[in-house]
Amino acid sequence: MLLLAIDTATRRVGAAFASDHGVLGRVEVGGPGDSRPRHAEALVPAIEYLANECAVRLDQLSAIAVGTGPGMFTGLRVGVTTARALALALRVPLIPIASLDLLAYPLRHGRSLVVPAIDARRNEVYYAIYRPVPGGVQRESAYELGTPEDLASELEARGVDALLCGDGAVRFADAFRHLDRVEFAGTGHVAPSLSALVELAIPRFEREQFCAADEVRPIYLRQSDAEISWEGKM
Amino acid sequence: MKFHTASADETRALAARLAPHLQAGDVVVLVGDLGSGKTTFAQGVARGLGVEGPVTSPSFTLVQQYEGRLPVAHVDVYRLDRIQELHDLGFEELVDGAGVTLVEWGDAVAQAMPNDRVVVKLEAGAEDDERSVALELLGARWHGADAEIERRLSEGSA
Repeated sequence: MLLLAIDTATRRVGAAFASDHGVLGRVEVGGPGDSRPRHAEALVPAIEYLANECAVRLDQLSAIAVGTGPGMFTGLRVGVTTARALALALRVPLIPIASLDLLAYPLRHGRSLVVPAIDARRNEVYYAIYRPVPGGVQRESAYELGTPEDLASELEARGVDALLCGDGAVRFADAFRHLDRVEFAGTGHVAPSLSALVELAIPRFEREQFCAADEVRPIYLRQSDAEISWEGKM
Repeated sequence: MKFHTASADETRALAARLAPHLQAGDVVVLVGDLGSGKTTFAQGVARGLGVEGPVTSPSFTLVQQYEGRLPVAHVDVYRLDRIQELHDLGFEELVDGAGVTLVEWGDAVAQAMPNDRVVVKLEAGAEDDERSVALELLGARWHGADAEIERRLSEGSA
């Protein structure tokens, strides 16, 4: 099989090709220090470059896996739309996986709770809490949107060791430093893992747990029912 | 602080004098009735930030982005009905980026605006092209900046 994996839930634009044997090649561009998001400019050329370097053709694809957030709106829009468009054009199935899961999965070998936090701007993070279990991680919370202080209080209340990862943990590190039982996973765990996306997607492909292009949506947590009051509008 | 301009060019020039005080992440909210000069003011800020080429109303595109000394995002919320649509535009990410964000009709979505912001209220004057321009600097970002900005913006308007 040939899989294309895409994740754009953070400022890191990531794409990889993989076979049953694992990752054939990957491109990762951008990160927290970037001045401007470049998902729209970088993703498709990255896929093209990778296809050339890996000597594969898009018409050989068996499926496309895509990180669905929650995360950066500008990025997800590009990543999920690209994945859906390619899936439609190439008539291959999509395998959507939450980007928070992709941050947590590589940290499954410890004993601590794994807590990925993606920068949501406006002093908020998208986060979820995972427990390592044999062979993976099990999510113990909903996908949440809250302030770093909300998350810090929740971790403090749980009173167990926790390992923080993701660009939100880096940006808002100060909110967690007073917690004795919280550690930071470091700069290798800032963006959702493409290897995890491949590793989680291949068994789903084999079990035919996939979706049609139009069934895949980014996970948006920033919701507002408020109407704009247009008193001054003519 | 309040200013008076006698023409669209003067409004642009006033706005351009605000530009050197703007940094990445700053938000300028433009308030005023249709035709009061919100886009004119935005054009002045964009020119002051080194944007070359035309700056047009984003009423139909919702967001226009330009490259200057800093990137400039020019947003118009006039056609939005719900706050959710502002989230869907990636507004939080625009503001968090490396540029300056100008928001026409931003007062209507005040709850979604950052605490730190410049609010520019434009009102028509007695003559056709006359405008009164009231500037408010809000939030910790602008603390103590009033006097300097008032002085700089008054220069050349005499």
